[in-house]
Amino acid sequence: MGEIAEVAGFGVALDRAYDPAGHFWVSMLTAERARIGMDALGVETSGTIAQLAFLPVGGNLKRGDAFGSLEAAKFVGPLTSPLSGRVTATNDAVVADPALVERDPYGAGWLVELTLADPAELRELVSGADVIPVWFAAEVEDYRLKGVLAE
Amino acid sequence: MVPELRVVDFGRVSALRSQTLWHALAYGVSAGGPPTLSFMRPSRAYVGLGYHRRLEEADLDACREAGLPVFRRMVGGGVVYLDEHQQFFQICLPFGSVPRSREQALRQLLSPAVAAFRAAGVPAALDDDLEIVVGEAKVCGHGAAQIEEAVVVVGNLMERFDHTAAARVLALPDEVRAEVARLMERFVIATPADSAAFRAAAVTEYGRALGLEPVAGQLSASERARLHELDRRDRSPAWLRGPQRPDSHCSQVKVRAGVHVVWTEQEGRRALATVVHGHIERMQVSDPGLDGALTAALAKARLVV
Repeated sequence: MGEIAEVAGFGVALDRAYDPAGHFWVSMLTAERARIGMDALGVETSGTIAQLAFLPVGGNLKRGDAFGSLEAAKFVGPLTSPLSGRVTATNDAVVADPALVERDPYGAGWLVELTLADPAELRELVSGADVIPVWFAAEVEDYRLKGVLAE
Repeated sequence: MVPELRVVDFGRVSALRSQTLWHALAYGVSAGGPPTLSFMRPSRAYVGLGYHRRLEEADLDACREAGLPVFRRMVGGGVVYLDEHQQFFQICLPFGSVPRSREQALRQLLSPAVAAFRAAGVPAALDDDLEIVVGEAKVCGHGAAQIEEAVVVVGNLMERFDHTAAARVLALPDEVRAEVARLMERFVIATPADSAAFRAAAVTEYGRALGLEPVAGQLSASERARLHELDRRDRSPAWLRGPQRPDSHCSQVKVRAGVHVVWTEQEGRRALATVVHGHIERMQVSDPGLDGALTAALAKARLVV
């Protein structure tokens, strides 16, 4: 795993791309295969994760479809895919121990892997070691202004 | 003009409809329907299963013997016993109007319910664990979900609560169930308030908190069509089976937030611990050989401070 920078009090991995809508990260394993996880801000706003469930391997997704669901504080919500593709792997370790997502969101706490249907969608994501910290800091500031995060 | 809060009081409905009606409203709100506050009461007892829970967490033989149907809901939480002595309420809003933080969303959408409890004469409060409580006891079972582009928070006013029945439907070893029943008596209590007063106060409080004008309404045609689909879905074995889940060996059960029973079993022997807000309040270890296993189970559960 590459460098984790501290941005506005949160760790952010700089070696991958981010979906601003859902606060998921995308790390390319090969030219067509991507691993997806939740970034630190997504983890923070979820609260203590009690349950995770994923679509079965083989399921096809469009960008914005749910690839699974998350439960925290008896609140169930979808995990929305930042990219279109076919689910090729799910992380059984986080299903068994959801706290792993909180402990290691950029590493062992990954969620699913996809074979991409349209790699051009990657251009919609935020990437670049110089761009990510600026974007992430603005997101944190926005969340603080809206009262989503404590000052 | 002040935007509208649609208020729908379905009155007494079947067990199935006490779930499918508010799910239909959520899909309606997601599709552009107005924010909606709804009420209903099931006409008979049944068992509700949280979205992520394994069906085997309910004692299906006990449910069958008691004639209790089991329905899976889209909100979180565990296996719960529901009956005609519970007034259900649901508040449903567009996703974009709810805070991104789950904790904040719950706090915002449960606070008007707390005010309604108080208006109905119940000295309720929202505690740090986001439970609606009187003292240390939970008085409202709640859950929440994002359903497509809507967020729904559900809860109940428990006029009476059958602790024995509620413990009986849990698939637990007898010893553990007895401890859960004992804890339920202390930590889950009924509040026999006037449900009409509660409903009226909830309408006022949700309208005020959300800045919306309460207006009596009903299901739209598309929601009615969705309702029939949901009736079919909720009766289907595939839906009841739920998402694929690993067997967690179910070594802990939650009575309310912060109150758990954790247990371990080895070769027919069992040890259990009652954990209340981070502290072990009670342990039953009949065999010293189980000490280590119970300690390991407590560490894994991350409940002890």
